[in-house]
Amino acid sequence: MNTLLEILNPSFVLRNSVLVTLLVGLFCPWIGVFLVLRRLVFLGVALPQISSAGIAFAFSLPLLGVMGHSHDGHFEGDERLLALLGGLGFTLVALLFLALMERRGRGLLEGRIGTFYALAGASSFLLLAKNPMGERGLLDLLRGEIIAVSDIDVMVTTGVFAIVGVMLGLFWKEFLFVSFDRDMAMSLKKNVMLWDCLMFLLIGLTISVSVLSVGPMVTFGFLLIPPLIGHQFGRNMRQFACIASAVGGASALVGFCIAYRLDLPVGPTDVALMGCVYGISTLAQKVLHAVRKSRTLLR
Amino acid sequence: MNLNPAPMLNASQRLVTAEQVSVGYDSRPILSDASFTLERGVFAGLLGSNGSGKSTLIKSLVGILPLCSGRFTFETVDRHELVFGYVPQRESLDPVYPLSSLEVALMGVCGRVKPGRMLGGSQRTWARECLAQSGAADLESRPFSQLSGGQKQRVLIARALAAKPDLLVLDEPTAGVDPVATNAIVELLTRLHQEQGLTILMVNHDLGVVRRTVKQVLWIHNGILTQGSVEEMLSQARLEAILELRLQ
Repeated sequence: MNTLLEILNPSFVLRNSVLVTLLVGLFCPWIGVFLVLRRLVFLGVALPQISSAGIAFAFSLPLLGVMGHSHDGHFEGDERLLALLGGLGFTLVALLFLALMERRGRGLLEGRIGTFYALAGASSFLLLAKNPMGERGLLDLLRGEIIAVSDIDVMVTTGVFAIVGVMLGLFWKEFLFVSFDRDMAMSLKKNVMLWDCLMFLLIGLTISVSVLSVGPMVTFGFLLIPPLIGHQFGRNMRQFACIASAVGGASALVGFCIAYRLDLPVGPTDVALMGCVYGISTLAQKVLHAVRKSRTLLR
Repeated sequence: MNLNPAPMLNASQRLVTAEQVSVGYDSRPILSDASFTLERGVFAGLLGSNGSGKSTLIKSLVGILPLCSGRFTFETVDRHELVFGYVPQRESLDPVYPLSSLEVALMGVCGRVKPGRMLGGSQRTWARECLAQSGAADLESRPFSQLSGGQKQRVLIARALAAKPDLLVLDEPTAGVDPVATNAIVELLTRLHQEQGLTILMVNHDLGVVRRTVKQVLWIHNGILTQGSVEEMLSQARLEAILELRLQ
């Protein structure tokens, strides 16, 4: 409890890290709800990796003479904007390509996503093979080190998540409708393509900002595990989304406390904690189910 | 085969006119040059063997699939855009969505509520009324994915009614449903047709259900769509010719 109060103190030295982790914990599950419902879980794993490749591309630009060298492998100011654009650009191009291939109905979607995942991972390292500073920055991202978070990082993350949150809140019924029953939505003259594009843009934005702040592993951990927990207990969409977001936010805070107390990297601690919560909730659900079943039989 | 051309109707009677429509996927027609009319207030059944293009035809009718060729003309009384109440095959809806039955019914209202606007109390009341009309008022808070086949079909019909449709289009509403639930669905549709004068087009395989509910039949056989009254289309001679067997 003392540790929680300490990290929530405004003068806490890692205050920015706490804020960014909390924001990612609250908002990624909200977007992740749609990835789970649309059975695009594998995409939720691949997109952060693809976004990392985009960031690696931005890291490698100094070698191409496009911009100056970063001093410590981390982006600041314009460099950070470029990294964000790199991550977002790669994510959106991948989404566009996958959507086009799906419309043509050729090959296996899972196969294409898997190929993208492998290529993105490999190209991230290849792009930075001759750039030790950039490689260090990328490795920090992959490890989920959430320490060097600047005020600008917090502002950008807050701004982007505010936009994503407002859009999700405003157009929740449209996103849900076109996801659940595309045919009925079309019969009621809904522009399904437009809503899909907007949703994937929000997914791309959320993933790009999260990967830049906390790395790909933590991002896909928050995208997928809290919604899977929420799905076990939510009886309607509102409960599902609220439980997912609450589990994400609480895991981010508690995970940070544990990592700070035990001197562990924050990202992996968060993901491990969510994994434990998922395991416990699955067990609890099975026990509850068995109890209900036995009560019904006794009656 | 004796082909029945579309019956001659006054423009004021027609709700839907299909003129030589060809429907299919990726511009490859499954059914070609089909013409028919749907009268306002009619209860019509669409019959045909598996793969004959029934579902493809109704998907093209309601705007889910583009036409390969031909055209549909819709004539509403006050010339507003025709509203469809589409009831898909319930297996097409993924049970992974934790939606309550009321949330499903509310989707029918979405066509009338502009993007970005919240669903208000009046829309919720209307969705509840539609659930009640479909005999599904008690299912309101139950998870849609946990309902039986017949219960799901009632909720989907309520959702279609919530759209305030000019034409209710149902894709095999009694497929995979037990006889008791089938009877309940048939009674519900008959009541909606009789009490509200709702125009209904229903795809169905069950000749018994079609015979006792619909007044008009559209039958797709060997790639040709024919239309007629239920007595004419389901006469023994016609059935023997289409099914290529001798009925006792």
